[in-house]
Amino acid sequence: MSPRGRCPALLAAASLVLSPIAAQAQQAQVKPIPAAYQPESAEERGLWMEMDEAERALKTSRFVVRDPALNAYVRGVLCREVGEDRCAAVRIYIIRTPHFNATMMPNGALQLWTGTLLRLRNEAQLAAVLGHEFAHFEKKHSLQNFRNFRGKTDAMAWLSFFGLLGALANIGILGSIFSFGQDMEREADVTSLDYMRSGGYTPGAASAVWSQVIAEGDATALARQQKKRRHQGGGFLDSHPATADRMAYLGELARKAPVGAAGPGIEGVEPYRMAMTDWWASLIDDQVKLNDFGGTEFLLGRLAEHGWTSELLYARGELYRTRAGTGDFEKSVDFYRGALATERPVAEAWRGLGLSLLRTSGAEEGRQALRHYLEIRPQAPDKSMITMLAGG
Amino acid sequence: MLRLLVSAFAGMLLLCAPAAHAQFGAEASASKSGFAFPKDGAVKILVFRPDVSVGEQSTGGMNEPNAEWTEKARTLLAAALSSAQTRRANELVMMPELEGDKATLLADYRGLFRAVANSVIAHKLFAGNRLPTKRADFNWTLGDGVSALRDAGGAGAPADYALFVYTYDSYGSAGRKAAQIFGAMFGVGISSGVHMGYAGLVDLKTGELVWINADVKMGGDVREADGADKRIGQLLEDFPARAGAVPAAVPAPATK
Amino acid sequence: MRGSMKLLIAAALLAAPTAAVAGWKVMAAGAPVAVAKSALTVTPGQNWNRSSSRPSKKGEMWTLDGLQLNELSFFAGIAPGETILKDRKKKDRPLPTFKAQMLAPEIVQLFEATWRITLDTSLFEIDNVEPATLAGHQGVRFTYHYSVQGDDLRRNGEARAAVINGQLYLINFTGPAIHYFPTSVEEVRKIMDSAKL
Repeated sequence: MSPRGRCPALLAAASLVLSPIAAQAQQAQVKPIPAAYQPESAEERGLWMEMDEAERALKTSRFVVRDPALNAYVRGVLCREVGEDRCAAVRIYIIRTPHFNATMMPNGALQLWTGTLLRLRNEAQLAAVLGHEFAHFEKKHSLQNFRNFRGKTDAMAWLSFFGLLGALANIGILGSIFSFGQDMEREADVTSLDYMRSGGYTPGAASAVWSQVIAEGDATALARQQKKRRHQGGGFLDSHPATADRMAYLGELARKAPVGAAGPGIEGVEPYRMAMTDWWASLIDDQVKLNDFGGTEFLLGRLAEHGWTSELLYARGELYRTRAGTGDFEKSVDFYRGALATERPVAEAWRGLGLSLLRTSGAEEGRQALRHYLEIRPQAPDKSMITMLAGG
Repeated sequence: MLRLLVSAFAGMLLLCAPAAHAQFGAEASASKSGFAFPKDGAVKILVFRPDVSVGEQSTGGMNEPNAEWTEKARTLLAAALSSAQTRRANELVMMPELEGDKATLLADYRGLFRAVANSVIAHKLFAGNRLPTKRADFNWTLGDGVSALRDAGGAGAPADYALFVYTYDSYGSAGRKAAQIFGAMFGVGISSGVHMGYAGLVDLKTGELVWINADVKMGGDVREADGADKRIGQLLEDFPARAGAVPAAVPAPATK
Repeated sequence: MRGSMKLLIAAALLAAPTAAVAGWKVMAAGAPVAVAKSALTVTPGQNWNRSSSRPSKKGEMWTLDGLQLNELSFFAGIAPGETILKDRKKKDRPLPTFKAQMLAPEIVQLFEATWRITLDTSLFEIDNVEPATLAGHQGVRFTYHYSVQGDDLRRNGEARAAVINGQLYLINFTGPAIHYFPTSVEEVRKIMDSAKL
């Protein structure tokens, strides 16, 4: 999947650069992958071995989210759309990384980043992402991709003999290495719609994933006073179909066949929100600390489409307070107050409120808020610092 | 990840760059001053899962890992290691796969060893990047907390030492060798094949690194039994001896 | 994936160590020395190595055994609008900047965001924040821990910071939680205590 929001194309290329495999210019035979599938060719075995070593490291990695309930939920969605038998060939690793991506290793290890979970809005969108990755696996895309990639680095070695001209050619080749694979991305996209239909999910969700990505990227760029990063399709080092193209063709395909054999598809907004309940606060916090005001503000707005919760208002307060631009402290005071006015207020909102008030005209009120924070969070990690700011 | 990828890619390009490693000795070892195994008594060495990778280098300098070669090399190197150790009369125990907290602890120490080994290799063994304060002595450690791993090898007496072995081989393909010859005609240095490795020995009671040997131009075809023996011989060159014994059988090359 | 990535990096390091070469200079025990091209001086209790490569124009790094094992960094005179570390990916992942009126907890937040973005990690947590002085000025001392993806070694850190004449001064120490951080943290605290401006 790997969208273009942040460091997209290169990420997809990572699996190529780093999962080298012997090259022959033959097409891989594509057939469904049963649970007990074993690699067939020598090159596929080489690729698997490398990946098994990488997976060994994942087993003890601190970055893997081990929450059994969340893992069971994600796996359940994949199994529902590809079937119990085929999903048994896949191990899912949820990785604590705040960006939007998922990767599939050729041996069946699927990595889903928490930044993706933060951005998806329903179960059908999760099915779109998982189905896309599964399609790469089933169609052995890594293997085909690497064969091609190797051919291109070979060309690079030859070209590098020819001075400046060679250097320029290298850049061109680099670009073409990373732009390779669009057909595969498209194939995976299209295949994932079939999975979604057979799982009973509404196929329109796949297109929505990409419209969200585009809108978030625009919001990030706008706040940074940069040009929109759309330039879809012609991007250097871009291995993926232009995001806008994807949104369009996925939307078109979904419109042509809006429902599966089982009837109208579901979106699954509520089950998704419930499954993520324990994780929203941490993942939002990861996002707020990225120094991406526009993108974060956009995401918070999207997450709040069913109402502003205390967590979301608190996060928005933090976002404005840390940007610290003209009027930001005043705005953050309002958000913290909103967070504290909810039924189950986030305790840290008292801290944020106090700090923001210290930076505006309400110093005494700020000290009171900080003292209140210390009363309800007597073990706070910054207890002694806040005590001092609260006036001792 | 992006940063890592970029460095990985840069690394790949560096590997095809004109022989940059020609500026220093390809091979070096060091050990804690005066270190030797006790004269008699059993010495039990726990071997961490060797980090072995064998592949083929394409014309572009890219490595293609080969599962058969790697598997074979892993087996051959383990066998060569055992017989080399038997000759030195030390007891060798392979670290089993661990589960749960023990697995995490093991992963932490593998990570720490990697960080220490990288530092020794970068800042001690080779000229150009040496830390001035570390010039005189050989003083590197994983800390005495590593003693928690003494029993990780399973039943029997606690282990006395841990041995870490790393080898990386990428054999030049026909295309790469052709590029090398072609490059030479134009005065461009292209290396064919990468063969490097290091081995380190840690005292499990104190955590001290007592010996390390690194070589970026290793010999011995690890895909063959004889080659694996030769490779282990090179990796264990200058391996500490028993007190009072004659040092390692393999003569030290003149580069040191 | 990451395993093989490391392999490539290790391969690059071994094959071309010149790529990572820095110059080193001894910072002698007991001798006050000016750091980070500023008037800020500190007095080490043992001999340290100063790297010729810098984390930013207004920073410098010291180590005992290698930067991966113990890294002591100094930043001096960071002005409003400047970042603590070099803003290498300004376009895609810009670092937050220091602002003149920042309160101590905001300095800690600035540090956390800077390190999270630069190390590209979400496993970074502040453990303790308390008032402290730096070079005789009111400031903050904080501790933290983190891991970096693909490495997975837990590292601990401790830093001291103060805003002096509207500019940020910061001394930071980090190393693996196993052995290296605890072994040198006392020496580092004395160095932080010795800071004068």
